[in-house]
Amino acid sequence: MRLCKRLFTLTAAAGAFALSQGTARAADATLDLVAPIADYKIFVSEEVDALVSDTTTFVEAIKSGDVEQAKALFAPTRMHYEAVEPIAELFSDLDVSIDSRADDYEQAEADPAFPGFHRVEYGLWEKNSTEGLGPVADKLLADVTELQGRIESLTFPPEVVVGGAGVLMEEVAATKISGEEDRYSHTDLWDIRGNVDGSQKIVELVEPLVNDPAFLEQVNGNFATVDTILAKYEEGDGYVTYDHLTESDRVTLSAAVNTLAEDLSTLRGKLGLD
Amino acid sequence: MRDETFRPSRRGLLAGAAALAATPVLARAGRAGADADASAGQSHVADAPVADRAHATDMVSPFGAHQAGITTPRPANGALAAFHVIAETPADLERLFRRLTERIVFLTHGGPVAEEDPKLPPPDSGILGPEVPPDALTITVGLGASLFENRPWLAPLRPRALSQMARFPNDALDAEITHGDLSIQFCAHTQETVVHALRDVVKTIPDQLVLKWVQMGSVPVIVTPKGAPPESARNLLGFRDGSANPDSADQGLMEKVVWVGPANDEPDWAAGGSYQAARIIRNTVERWDRTPLGEQERIFGRTKMTGAPLDRPGGTEAMVPDFAADPDGALTAHDSHIRLANPRTAESQANLILRRPFNYVNGVLRNGQLDQGLLFICWQADLEKGFVAVQRRLDGEPLEEYIKPVGGGYFFAPPGFQDGGDYLGRPLIEAISPASQDSSQSG
Repeated sequence: MRLCKRLFTLTAAAGAFALSQGTARAADATLDLVAPIADYKIFVSEEVDALVSDTTTFVEAIKSGDVEQAKALFAPTRMHYEAVEPIAELFSDLDVSIDSRADDYEQAEADPAFPGFHRVEYGLWEKNSTEGLGPVADKLLADVTELQGRIESLTFPPEVVVGGAGVLMEEVAATKISGEEDRYSHTDLWDIRGNVDGSQKIVELVEPLVNDPAFLEQVNGNFATVDTILAKYEEGDGYVTYDHLTESDRVTLSAAVNTLAEDLSTLRGKLGLD
Repeated sequence: MRDETFRPSRRGLLAGAAALAATPVLARAGRAGADADASAGQSHVADAPVADRAHATDMVSPFGAHQAGITTPRPANGALAAFHVIAETPADLERLFRRLTERIVFLTHGGPVAEEDPKLPPPDSGILGPEVPPDALTITVGLGASLFENRPWLAPLRPRALSQMARFPNDALDAEITHGDLSIQFCAHTQETVVHALRDVVKTIPDQLVLKWVQMGSVPVIVTPKGAPPESARNLLGFRDGSANPDSADQGLMEKVVWVGPANDEPDWAAGGSYQAARIIRNTVERWDRTPLGEQERIFGRTKMTGAPLDRPGGTEAMVPDFAADPDGALTAHDSHIRLANPRTAESQANLILRRPFNYVNGVLRNGQLDQGLLFICWQADLEKGFVAVQRRLDGEPLEEYIKPVGGGYFFAPPGFQDGGDYLGRPLIEAISPASQDSSQSG
């Protein structure tokens, strides 16, 4: 999913809201969001810094031909990307380059244009080899480093940040529940953890501004359901492969995630953002 | 031609307003007591809908002793959706039923869509515009065996014959389009109304219903002069389907064939309900179209164009074949579809079912062949004596070379509900023993 790049500043946004309906409240809401969004920017910066640093180690493992080490680093590395996906997706050129899947290419895995994390995943798991992955890995590192640079100078659009909470759950509902995101490694539970962490962070930051206790109770209840299910599949510092998920847990997870996607789709509106 | 061979159970006895009165109330909104035209020219479930007689304002009441969409004349479009259910306690299940009831009542009556602050996502998909028309929409809910089996507080109340659909010899069931905790059948004049209702339910109840599979379907609409006799709709093999259906306007017959009653040895709550057997049956149409007409007709036991039984080839589809007069199968082969399905013996009367199928077209398969077939749906008071018995007789029939059941499931449609505070499934909820309610809620 690509979000349009409306990179207006907070001040400009507040000005624009002053002209729309619900004037005072919207303007106040936007001003109220200054602190949460500053905090969110710190969260994103930390995640992206970790992404660059972990990708560096990941790429080193690939280039040294250490398949097992590269496999071990794949899921924890990309989790940082998953956590900040709504912001990362503001740069659609980089999102395609870093995180597109084989389905996005006419010749699927055989397509020479197939790049990024999933191209590496395909080589490591399907071919059990790092052969030919060197240039792909170099490009991946260059792309996440470029992303880091762009995010540093980005003014965060409030509606993208707040809307991002729902978008992250939409990500889970659309591509993770089916197990098709990480189809070679089956490390989808890590991705889900990343998406949910990112979404929970946003909710946590704006929660004091939401004057709807029943809504918050339901949202936090569904986050708790997701946490409980994920906790059942923890192994070491991460998770077992997705095929371990029971049908019953997959259904419960799907219901919680879809309900979060529905509920959080109203978060922007609840905060008076257009 | 002997007029007395017209099936008295199906046509001719009940006509016009009398037939309509016996079917679930179908009226144009704002014009109660509609004429026969309001039923889109149909009075039997398998009749083809007639062009120009369907109106967006047609309303089928969702209220009554039975759910609508079972003996209701079949409109031009339908879908069957199967869901996983999230309900840990009887209270959860009651909440699900009440929410479903609320959506059914709104969607079938129609009305203006809810409006919200434009800063919020619109509550309605908007695909039908600002005013949702009733469009003859029916929403029929069925319960799968897994709903009962996976819940100890509900398991004792499982309808006796409700099981997970077992494989028949010609089946190639795909787990992704088979079974479900709950089914919802949507039927309406237009596909958009069907899709709108499905999306509404999915969006409104995401925490308790997780969509498992959907099969859309349609019925060919025919153009016919006013006053012409109704025709059974054709399936995608080109044959009329439903000619021998029991008369859905005959309430007494429906009590025996379709609705669970005292004779059925079912839990009390199930009275007024009905078993739904749903089968997604792929038709290999390319091969069928390469089969000589005479062989096609022998396989079915009917003429292709008129639907007349082969022992009355110049007659009409409404005529009853006389198998007793053809003991050697010289006119109608013993292994023809209609003779196996309904041998018309005294014993086979116990196996009557009410068929209400839809055709489907899903695109193309990997081999380049068309993915077409029949969303077969039939209703009966006893699943074993009904669909299962009929299908067992059909096992090995010559038609199997051209058809392949790939999905579907068995469901039980609870009885209907009344207007004003009642809800779908209330008898089931009230039958749950208080002891099990306490234990499940404290646990």
